[in-house]
Amino acid sequence: MNKAQQKEYLEDYAEAKRQGKPFFPYAIYKDHLVALFAIGIVIAMAIVYRVEVGEPVNPATTDFVPRPEWYFFFLFELLKIFKGENVLTPVIMGTFLVPNILMVLLVVWPFIDRGPERRIEKRPVALAIAVVVIALMAWLTEEGVKSPSGTVDPAAIELEGLDEAGEAGLVLYAANQCSACHMIKGEGAPGPGPDLTNESSKDRGLEWQIDHLKEPASRTPGSSMPAFPNFTDQEYEDLGTFLEGLGDTYK
Amino acid sequence: MATKDIGPKNPVAKTNDMVVDYVDHRTGMKTGLNWFMNRNIPAETSWFQTLGFTAMALFGLQAITGIILAMYYKPDAATAFESIRVITDDLTWGWLVRGMHKWGASAMIVVVFLHMGRVFFFGAYKYPRELTWVTGSLLLVMTMFMGLTGYLLIWDQKAYWATVVAVNLTASAPVLGPYLADVLRAGPEFGPNTLSRFYAIHMLLIPGGMITFIAIHLFLVSKLGIAEPPWSKRRTMVEREKEEAKRQAARDRLPTGRTRVPVRAPEHPPLRTPAPTSSSTATTPEGGGS
Repeated sequence: MNKAQQKEYLEDYAEAKRQGKPFFPYAIYKDHLVALFAIGIVIAMAIVYRVEVGEPVNPATTDFVPRPEWYFFFLFELLKIFKGENVLTPVIMGTFLVPNILMVLLVVWPFIDRGPERRIEKRPVALAIAVVVIALMAWLTEEGVKSPSGTVDPAAIELEGLDEAGEAGLVLYAANQCSACHMIKGEGAPGPGPDLTNESSKDRGLEWQIDHLKEPASRTPGSSMPAFPNFTDQEYEDLGTFLEGLGDTYK
Repeated sequence: MATKDIGPKNPVAKTNDMVVDYVDHRTGMKTGLNWFMNRNIPAETSWFQTLGFTAMALFGLQAITGIILAMYYKPDAATAFESIRVITDDLTWGWLVRGMHKWGASAMIVVVFLHMGRVFFFGAYKYPRELTWVTGSLLLVMTMFMGLTGYLLIWDQKAYWATVVAVNLTASAPVLGPYLADVLRAGPEFGPNTLSRFYAIHMLLIPGGMITFIAIHLFLVSKLGIAEPPWSKRRTMVEREKEEAKRQAARDRLPTGRTRVPVRAPEHPPLRTPAPTSSSTATTPEGGGS
């Protein structure tokens, strides 16, 4: 908007106010009606869907399913899209770039869209952006609601060539809810972690696998995977052997 | 401000007047309230323009239920979970207050996003209300952070591990990420101090920030006035008049057509000719005669 358009807007708005009505009580009563309705819904939800007491925190067990509140699903689902499997989907896009760029764009939006037009039907670019953003957020939230809660029966993952270490590794894999974030042969969640069906093809070696389990970020900088520091040496070896053999020894 | 026109003058009314005058003289309260309450708003406003107030009312509800919960919640890794259990199972109405705080958080997120959508579709963030939008969008981000930090305080498995992932994500950010994660965790490891830290952030830091920004937001809304819906009856009329004026101007600018081209005086004086009949044609260039 240039100076003349700004002046014109201010004059027009002053005219609207002259022809208007007082804030109290005309706006106040509408505000209170809607606010009371919203508070009523909150109370009704609290009564119908009672809060529950979950399981106490146990940092040692790790049989958890990390799921955020529903209003973070759209960010959580981004992690499943950007898993670093190829150049187009680097992990940093989902963890940092996309959310932060969106946040900055949101804050500075009025300085980007400065046109004088206020009617949405005459602002095609703004309308298109709004429709795309709303559709994407709705879709990602819906995907988050639908995504499996993670618990997978070890028997559901059918692997051939399992030896003793492989069998023990698979049991650990299932007991520690790895399938809440990872997938093997189509079983488990499609993210945030990568698909492990062909883990052996990455040629990382047993030592890498064990270090990664103890402290993921030490081997994969920027990893959001929680650390598993409380296994025994035997368990590390079994799970590491199992992971290192996926797609090669165990198919 | 003595009341002369209603009722007999009794000492109570006199005292009330004195108190009001005393306060107003020192604070300008009357002027302030008058400015806030009696300002005019456009005649036509949409029901969607009540969402901002609704978000603020839900913030108030979160504050009240939050204060009640804080009276019983123990922000310590060893006792937090048990205190949540007591609030939910043993305390009279405890389940209701906790439930309202939980559902209130979801409701507030929904209403804040709807409010943002309303402002976007009305083009209400445009001049002169750009900074109102900036403070509002920061309030939206702070509301999201309230949800994130409050989630951990329940201190159950689901909350704990979801927050571990969220902090790991923070740590993965370039440059500042690792430091920020250390600040959130209160150290390099996720532990008991993390709970106290999230409690302080959830109870003091973000609410303080939100109250400040709500105050600025509200001041700007009152000062600049609430936006008129772009398709209100008055705006439609104004636009139609403008459109009509433009069309009229375009018609007036036409060199030919319905408007008459003014008659020009001849550049040279008519030649002196002896024949009187030809002089009439020379003075009228339009030649309407033949």
